[in-house]
Amino acid sequence: MIDVFSYVPAIVLLPFFSFLVALSVGKYLPKGGAFGGIAATAGSFLLSLWVLASVAGGEAANRTLYTWASGGGIGPTDVELSFGILIDPLSALMLVIVTLVALLVHVFSLGYMNDEGETGLPRYYAGLGLFTASMLGFVVADNLLMAFMFFELVGLCSYLLIGFHFREPGPPSAAKKAFLVTRFGDYFFLIGVVAVLATFGTAQFGGPESFPALAEAALAGEGSLAWTPGGVGVQTWFTVVGLLVLGGVVGKSAQFPLHTWLPDAMEGPTPVSALIHAATMVAAGVYLVARMYGFYALTPTTLAVIAFIGGFTALFAATMGLVKDELKQVLAYSTISQYGYMMLALGSGGYVAAVFHLTTHAFFKALLFLGAGAVIIAMHHNENMWDMGGLKSKMPVTYYTFLAGSLALAGIFPFAGFWSKDEILYEALVHAPGEPLLFGGYLMGLLAVPVTAFYTFRMVFLTFHGEARSDTARDPEPVRWNVKGPLTVLGSLAVVTGFINMVPVQKVLGLEGIDFLHLWLDNEWGGIEGLSSHHYGDIGPYSSQYLVGGEVGTVLAGAAVSLGLALAGLGVAWRLYNVPSPTEHTAKLGGIKDVLYNNYYLDELQVWLAYRTEDVAGGANTFDQGIIDGVVNGVSSVSLFGGSRVRRLQNGVVSQYAMLLTLGLVALILVLGLTEGGFL
Amino acid sequence: MTAVASSIPPQWYLLLATAVFCIGLFGVLTRRDALYFLMSVELMMNAANINFVAFALYYGDLTGQVFALFVIALAAAEVAIGIGIILVLYRNFGVTDVTVPTEMRW
Repeated sequence: MIDVFSYVPAIVLLPFFSFLVALSVGKYLPKGGAFGGIAATAGSFLLSLWVLASVAGGEAANRTLYTWASGGGIGPTDVELSFGILIDPLSALMLVIVTLVALLVHVFSLGYMNDEGETGLPRYYAGLGLFTASMLGFVVADNLLMAFMFFELVGLCSYLLIGFHFREPGPPSAAKKAFLVTRFGDYFFLIGVVAVLATFGTAQFGGPESFPALAEAALAGEGSLAWTPGGVGVQTWFTVVGLLVLGGVVGKSAQFPLHTWLPDAMEGPTPVSALIHAATMVAAGVYLVARMYGFYALTPTTLAVIAFIGGFTALFAATMGLVKDELKQVLAYSTISQYGYMMLALGSGGYVAAVFHLTTHAFFKALLFLGAGAVIIAMHHNENMWDMGGLKSKMPVTYYTFLAGSLALAGIFPFAGFWSKDEILYEALVHAPGEPLLFGGYLMGLLAVPVTAFYTFRMVFLTFHGEARSDTARDPEPVRWNVKGPLTVLGSLAVVTGFINMVPVQKVLGLEGIDFLHLWLDNEWGGIEGLSSHHYGDIGPYSSQYLVGGEVGTVLAGAAVSLGLALAGLGVAWRLYNVPSPTEHTAKLGGIKDVLYNNYYLDELQVWLAYRTEDVAGGANTFDQGIIDGVVNGVSSVSLFGGSRVRRLQNGVVSQYAMLLTLGLVALILVLGLTEGGFL
Repeated sequence: MTAVASSIPPQWYLLLATAVFCIGLFGVLTRRDALYFLMSVELMMNAANINFVAFALYYGDLTGQVFALFVIALAAAEVAIGIGIILVLYRNFGVTDVTVPTEMRW
C-alpha cells in the first residue's frame, strides 16, 4: 500500500543523503554542499507539510517498518526490537517545525558561514544534515528504543557541530562538555529503556499494545506485566521507570542540574545554536516526555518532580541571564528558562500548553538566534553587547524581526510567546491547589516572567538602541538576502503562531473552535487512539480548581498577572537601559552579581564532584590493574614459562625424537596394561 | 615344508618377530649413521612381515601374504625416499650422522 506515510522515511533520509553527499563530494560542490542541504531540507519540509495535511484529513500511521531483532525477554513475552514510524498530530506538527527551522538555518548558513569565508564547510553542512536527519528520525520513532538511538545520534551531532572550530581552544572543550553532560543523563535513559522493555515486553509508543496502554491496564488491575522487580509496587516501579527516562530528558533539555553544557555550547557557530535550541537537540527532551505522556500521566510523583524541576529551572536560568554581557549567552540562558516552562507545563498536566510553547518557542528562539547571528556578522564576530548599541537604524530588518522575537520571548500580548506562556501558567495554577510541588513550580514560573522580560529587553536595548559604543557598531557590515529572508519568515511566525491556540479568548468570549492546537492534539481531525490530550487528561492525576470568578475569572486574572509582570520587567529594562549611553547597573547587585555571573558556581561544583569521583576511579584502577590484570598476566606468564621450558624438547636430534616416541608408546602400553584399559 | 612350518606353534613366530623388531628398534635408537637407520627400519618392517605370513599360514588365508607383498613394495619406496634424504643430508652437511644437523630446533 503506497500512501503519504510511505514517504515518511524519505523525510528522514533526505537530510541523511545530504550528509553523505556533503561528506563525500562536498568540497567539489559550489558553496561547500550548501545547496544539497537546502534542497534536502526543503524536500523534507514539503513532505512534512503533506503529512500534516494528511493527518488533518483524518489519517494517522503506526507502522513497524523493520524488525531487527526478536527473541525472549524477561518473563513469558517475546521482545521485538524494530524501527517504525508513528505519525499522529503531535509528530506531524513537530516534523513541520523541525524541517522548517532546519531549512531556514541552512539558508542562513549561506550568509553566516559561506559569506564569512569559513573553511571546512563540507564538514559543517554534513553535520547539519546528519543533525536534522537524527532529529527527524527521533520525531517519527514509534518505539522508545528507536527514539533512544536517534536521541544519541542527536547528541553526537551536537558534539560535532559545537566543536566545529576545533582549532581554537574553547569549542572542543565545550563540545566535550555537551557530550559528557548529556551522556550522563542518557545513561539513566538507557536503563529506563531496558526497564520499559523488561516490564512491558514492548517499547511501542502508540496503539493498544503500547507500553503506556499496558501500564494503564496494569494500574487498573487488568492485564499483567512481563516483569516487575520483586517487592516493589507497580505504581512505585512506574515512578522509578519514569524518573529514569526523565534523566535523559533533563540532560538533553538542559534542565537543572544538567543544564551547564548549554551556555558553553554557544561556542558553536550561531546557526547551529539556532538549530540546537529551537528545533533539534534541546527540543528532543521535551518532545520525548510529550511523546510518552500517556505513561507519565499515570505517575503523579514523576509529574510533580517534572513540574518542580521545570519551574525551578525557569527561574534559575532567567536570573543568570540577567547579568551576561554576551548576546548569545543571554539567549542561551533564556533557552534553558523557556524549556523549564515547557517542563512545568508537562508536569502540571498541560500537555497541549507544553506542545504549544514548544512550537512558538521553536520559531521565536530560532528567530532570536538567527537575529543574533546577523548582529554578529555585522559586528565582525564581536558578541559583547557593551560594544554594540545603535544598530536599530543601520539594520532595520534585523531589528524589527529581533524585536518581534523578543516580545514573543518576554510574553507580551499579542505575540506568540504570550499565548503559550500564559497557558502554561494557567494550567499550573488551576492544577496547583493541594499539590505543593506544583504550586512551588508555578510560583517560580511566575517569578521568572518579569525576569525574562527584563533580560530580554536589556539585550534589545543594549544591542540596538542608544548610541554606538564602538567603531564596528558605527559602521556595521551589511547582511544579504540569505540572512534577511529567514529572519523575515521567522519574524512573521513569531507574531502569528500564537493565534493557533487562543484559549483565553475562547474562554472569555465563549467562541468555540478557535483553540486549534487543542483540537488538533485532541484528535479532532483524526489521530491514534490513546494518544490524545483528552485521554491524557482523563488518566492524569489532576483536577482543575478555579480561584476567583470561576473559569473566566481565573483566565483573565492569570493573563493579567503574567502580562503585568512581563510589562513591569520590560519597563524596568526601559528605564535602565533605553538611554543614549547605558551603564552597567549590575554593580548595584553587589555580591549577588558575582554569584549570578559565575552561574551559581555550579560549574565549579560539578568539577569538584568530578574530582571526588577520582578517588572511586583510583580504587577501581587499582582493582583493575592489580587483580583483573594480575590474573590475566599471571595466566599468560605461566604459559610463557612452561612453553619456554617444554620447547627445549625439540632439540633437532632425530634419535632423541625416536627415543621419546618409543618411550611414550611403551608408557602408554604399560598404563593400558596396568589399568586394563579402564580409563579409555 | 608346509607340514614343518605349520607344525611350529605361532608363539615362536611372534617371538622371532619381536626379536627382529627389537633389533631394528635398538639400531634406530643407538646408531648415529642415517644408513643404519634405513637398515634398522627395514628390519622392523620385516618383523611385521613375519607376523603377517605366520598368521596367514596359521589361518590358511592368503590376505596376510598379500599384505606382506604390499609392505615389501612400501619398503622399497621408503628406501628410495630415504636414500634421497640421506644424499641431501650429505650434500648439505658433509656427513650422514643424524646428530650433526640440529638446525630444526627451538
